Amino acid sequence: MASATGGFAGKVLRVDLSTGAVSTESTVERYLDVLGGTGIGYRVLWDEVPAGTGAFDPANKIVFATGVLAGTGVPCNGRTAVTTIFPTCWPKPLVGSGHMGGQFAAKLKYAGYDALIVEGKADRPVWISIRNSQVQIRDARGLWGEGIRRATLEISREMGGECAVAAIGQAGEKLAPMAIVANSVSHSAGGVGGVMGSKNLKAVAVQGDGAVRLAGDKGEWERLVKFHLSILGGNNQHVVPSFPTPQSEYYNPGSRWVGEPGRRWGAAEPPVEITGNIRDLNRIAYRTNSAAFYLGANAWQYTVRGNGCTGCPIRCHTIVKVPSVAAKYGVGEMGQNTCAGLLFGRGFFRKLAAGDKSHTSLEACMLGMHLADDLGLWCNYGQLQRDLIKLYYDGTLKAKLGAKEYDSIPWDKYESGDPAFLLDMIPRIANRQGELGAVLSQGTAGLFTAWSITERDWSQDKETAYWKMGHPKHHANEDDGQCGVIINTQYNRDAQCHSHVNFVRNGLPLAVQKRLAAETWGSPEAVDAVGDYTPANVYKARRAKWALIRKELHDSLGLCNWMGPWVASPLKERDYGGDDSLESKFFSLATGLKTNREELDRMGERIFVLHRALTQRDMGEPDLRSRHDTVPDWVFKDANGAAPFSKGTTRMDREDIAKAMDLFYEVMDWDRATGAPTMEAYARLGLQDVGRRMQALKLTPGTRG
Amino acid sequence: MDRDFDITRIREAARAAGMGEALSRRGFLLLSASTAAAVTALGLCEALGADAPLVILDNAKGMILADPTRCVGCQRCELACVEYNEGRSQPSLARIKISRSLNFGPGGPGGAQGAWGNGLVVQGVCRQCPHPVPCATACPNDAIRLDPATGARVVDGQACVGCKLCQRSCPWNMLVFDEETQKTTKCFLCGGSPKCVEACPADALRYVPWRDTTREAPARAASLSLITPEKTASCLECHVPGRPGTVTK
Repeated sequence: MASATGGFAGKVLRVDLSTGAVSTESTVERYLDVLGGTGIGYRVLWDEVPAGTGAFDPANKIVFATGVLAGTGVPCNGRTAVTTIFPTCWPKPLVGSGHMGGQFAAKLKYAGYDALIVEGKADRPVWISIRNSQVQIRDARGLWGEGIRRATLEISREMGGECAVAAIGQAGEKLAPMAIVANSVSHSAGGVGGVMGSKNLKAVAVQGDGAVRLAGDKGEWERLVKFHLSILGGNNQHVVPSFPTPQSEYYNPGSRWVGEPGRRWGAAEPPVEITGNIRDLNRIAYRTNSAAFYLGANAWQYTVRGNGCTGCPIRCHTIVKVPSVAAKYGVGEMGQNTCAGLLFGRGFFRKLAAGDKSHTSLEACMLGMHLADDLGLWCNYGQLQRDLIKLYYDGTLKAKLGAKEYDSIPWDKYESGDPAFLLDMIPRIANRQGELGAVLSQGTAGLFTAWSITERDWSQDKETAYWKMGHPKHHANEDDGQCGVIINTQYNRDAQCHSHVNFVRNGLPLAVQKRLAAETWGSPEAVDAVGDYTPANVYKARRAKWALIRKELHDSLGLCNWMGPWVASPLKERDYGGDDSLESKFFSLATGLKTNREELDRMGERIFVLHRALTQRDMGEPDLRSRHDTVPDWVFKDANGAAPFSKGTTRMDREDIAKAMDLFYEVMDWDRATGAPTMEAYARLGLQDVGRRMQALKLTPGTRG
Repeated sequence: MDRDFDITRIREAARAAGMGEALSRRGFLLLSASTAAAVTALGLCEALGADAPLVILDNAKGMILADPTRCVGCQRCELACVEYNEGRSQPSLARIKISRSLNFGPGGPGGAQGAWGNGLVVQGVCRQCPHPVPCATACPNDAIRLDPATGARVVDGQACVGCKLCQRSCPWNMLVFDEETQKTTKCFLCGGSPKCVEACPADALRYVPWRDTTREAPARAASLSLITPEKTASCLECHVPGRPGTVTK
């Protein structure tokens, strides 16, 4: 199979910061069986980073890896997975990945590399310069202490304005576990900034001028790309608009396809009015406006345009211009981000957090983005903000902090919802100032270790949205019942999986979703209406498996799992069906390696199971079911006491979830009692070497003393 | 190099352009766009001999018009340009230019545009310049020619010797050198159905009838026009020293 003639850039770059050695290896020869992205990341950690390695130990490695479809014209590519021993994972660091978009992935490919492995630790601050085949370790002493914005500017002056710079801010330099690395203004990977800081690595800058080869016929490639475009919806593959229109049979107010004709990018000069047919492929970029979706229709007037990753027509990083922010708070008037990054500022305030769409809320978001994306502070999917709210209002902060420190914080501004509070709080955490900064910059793990708060305190309180291991839920039962729960048990950080939620929240009527579910997962029972759940069944377990596999596949192909997979479409003429084999078709054409959906899914499963083995090996734990795949208590509660499976509640039933996990382990070919992959599963996935090692460690089923 | 320039061809061109009268009365021809078109249509340049310096190109019929306020910086136009023509993904080879303005605008780092500035991305598009066409004139091997279908100035890959003089001559840096083929390439309007226009998800590009936009935007770079003596001599065959804008014999 090792005759790929396209897709792969060809090499994996390795930089040892301890010795200064720079080397390359063949991607296809060494990593073809794990594709790229998280696959390469997990493989490197499995092969090269011993169990027990701390996140900030020089022995930890950080792997920036993209995939065969990054840098091409496949819609919704542009992703880089940053895999390492993850510092916010509690009670001990385990494997995890941050994921970033922007220009970095494409530039890395054009420079000739599918991945960059950074190992060791430099003896002084450095940045890595990659200009095609020229790779240098450069002195970053002059950049140390600077924010991401200035570091990027200074490096761009040296590299040229077209390069992509992935840099850390002060938070990463100070080894805050809650630190990001960011490129292209607003595209960040959470949790990994401190690992870069621990290696004295300020930034990686890439300029590439070369090509990603396409093995297949260019006409066929063009047709497939155009087909893919035709089945796209708006952000998160919401395939119906949020507004009624004669151009669509259905609409759904919850849809992120908000670009209604008549709306305007009000801050463009001159403003751009959305006109024409919403289905026009030359107008896909107007469908999504994250600012308007999250901050209300008022945000349209501040919208300059959509922005986003290389090659993606969706443009979920909305650029907004809010002059009042510059006037009031002395920061830049421009901002851009999506989703949790966009809401970074608002989320701190109890008054604003719950969907407030006032101008104050918008200003808080602008200020939050400006500070966090420069200082390089991570939000842990909003957990940081929720933690601060809980800690303040339940009196913990007053009890834990010294009076001097506590009184130095402008709580009056906090309570009144004054965005200026963020000018104090965000730098305090990012710079790890005082007790509060030292603790909160560790994430929720910091509360458990430094302030003897128990995990139970958090996992019982639905308001925290806390799931486990220091991280929150990420599209769990509130979106997708048992499927969401299963998925949220599987990772060592918040589950960065969107395969499932992109389907259940796509806006189509339930009957249509059920028909598509029957076609894709074998039964209409694979999907329920949100908040109207039925008991667990094997089809839901299959869908959970599919979702996890596709998540890893996307993360290993350079595709966006915030947009894919594409099993549904806006096309009535296709009965709203998409194409579940799209990834394999693109893979075949790009690489010249003929594959199909089943075969590629098997590769995705291999990557997912490698993550499982790595997790289990580093935990040294035979029983993952009870020690890892846990569900917080709040999932089994309802504020109004509604019973599970009654309409309107997202409350789950303990026995039913236990059954859901049974079914999931079965479809995964894992041991039901322990949730550990069986030797048969390892063998079926071509992971015999991993299986043998796990067996030797007595971590496979039946090998326990 | 001396060359026998046959005035009868000019006369034919003038007649075809409806300017025969002006020519016979005044003895010279105002070299307008329409006469240039006629000159080309009549195959004048070819009639002058196989090794004749290529000086006059007909105006293009169409051009790509870009609206920066709509550009979302996705580079789908760049990718379509290269993927659908060359069959590889390589924005550096694109004949429409987004990457260079994406981060900071054309001013480079510290510039006020692009994602780090005010968000504006000014697309670089070939203006399909009117006569004298800088890139075509600069080519020592007359490799930049007219596509009869669109009037686009296109690089004849067979004739291109890879000297990059055309690249240096373009005031807007729109020619690209393909390291793989060792040839230059430029926007050829995809034969009249530009892939970039079709690929734009924000309706920021349009394919419109040509007009001269060369005076409407400042040059990106000082251009270097190294023109062969043969070509400069041929300029004088049409343009009378001291009487700009004339064609005579």
